[in-house]
Amino acid sequence: MGVFVFLPLILPLTAWPVARLAEQHLHPRAATRLLSAVAAVLAVCSTLCLALLMVVGTAQLPGNPLPDGWSDPEVREALPYDEVAGTAAIPALFAVLLSCGRATWRHGRVRRRAAQALAGGGVPASAGGGVAVLPDRTPYAYALPGSRRARRAGRIVVTAGMLAGLDSAERSALLAHERAHLTGRHHRFLLAVQLAARANPFLRPLRTAVSYTAERWADEEAAAAVGSRRAVARAIGKAALISHAAPVPVSASALAGFAVAGPVPRRVAALLAPAPAAGSWPPVRTAVGLAAWGAAAGAAVSALSSANSAVTLFLVLRAATPL
Amino acid sequence: MAQERAGGSGREASAQTRRRGQGELESLVLAALRQAPGPVNAGWVRERLGEGLAYTTVVTILTRLHAKGAVERERAGRSFAWTPVADEAGLAALRMRKVLDAEADREAVLARFVTGLGPGDERLLRDLLRQASDEPPGPGGEAD
Repeated sequence: MGVFVFLPLILPLTAWPVARLAEQHLHPRAATRLLSAVAAVLAVCSTLCLALLMVVGTAQLPGNPLPDGWSDPEVREALPYDEVAGTAAIPALFAVLLSCGRATWRHGRVRRRAAQALAGGGVPASAGGGVAVLPDRTPYAYALPGSRRARRAGRIVVTAGMLAGLDSAERSALLAHERAHLTGRHHRFLLAVQLAARANPFLRPLRTAVSYTAERWADEEAAAAVGSRRAVARAIGKAALISHAAPVPVSASALAGFAVAGPVPRRVAALLAPAPAAGSWPPVRTAVGLAAWGAAAGAAVSALSSANSAVTLFLVLRAATPL
Repeated sequence: MAQERAGGSGREASAQTRRRGQGELESLVLAALRQAPGPVNAGWVRERLGEGLAYTTVVTILTRLHAKGAVERERAGRSFAWTPVADEAGLAALRMRKVLDAEADREAVLARFVTGLGPGDERLLRDLLRQASDEPPGPGGEAD
């Protein structure tokens, strides 16, 4: 196995160009699904790899609770045995698990608290249900996903300040956009890439890419629902301008540092351009096709490599365990 | 002694508060306050509620509402007279802002309709918007 056991930790680097190309050239729905799946697979493989290294690393430590057979010279012979990597994997895996656990817990808490904030009653719900209009002059809008366990339906939360800044076509566009988030369960993709980015920092570009493509996906659905790409574009543009008084989030300013337009102008520009083709996978010969297939191949190789390492390790450790 | 009793039932009531959720009690108190003919004291609110809540509990809830900007108070003798500022929907809006403000400093959980604009984005966006509203719809334009 040798150095191949480290492959799943490094392969997420392939995600950088892939994220960029998929975001620009694939239909947002396909891009969101592809990039989330790639991120999830690579993250699981990377974590598995870390766990294997940890088992080997821990077996070297004196006074560990593992069977003595696991630190036999034969085992060390058979496994990629590297003192530094093995020992470093212990805190790394611990950090990954802690970070993912915290992110999941925080995700649940924010959703629960937001639902509780609406639960007091007295929030006027517009026709059609599921839309909570809050009497707040600060303009904002978002989709609050429902929860099957807590028997909560998904709701659209929008402030009076936001609605006041839009005309009726733009309001429909905004609601259609948020409804698309809810029906498409987009928060699952977003959570998946957030956890992946915590499992392996090399996967962070995928998180940024998916949070953009998920918005684009909802924009396209909204454009189809209200029958006007331009109305959706205007709604996004106006909403961003009236919200502009709010401080700029770090991610947006980081993007601007590369002299690239932020996500909002790119979304508006994409809506003013013709609708993207919702076709199947691009052919291999084009740059996009190459990137898409490269991502699939990278994920597959990573998964195989992890599985191979896991099976080998399992067999070796079973052989070394005194029964 | 009276104070002791009030304190004891206050603890009971606060246990009850936790069971029922703070939001619900705040809504009840606010609803009572809005039926008041004018500024009223906590005792009036407590009687109006008729829920067997301790005086201290009512004051605690009123103080919390005051901290949220949902009620105003003015000194009236040795206690306060309270008037509502926000209604229940306004209170929900305040609670939501609190959730979002606590969330804003880290990774976003809730996908907002628009994210912030970077430097240069605003000008670019205004150009695009002009394009979006000026451009006459071409043949079959709007529905494309």
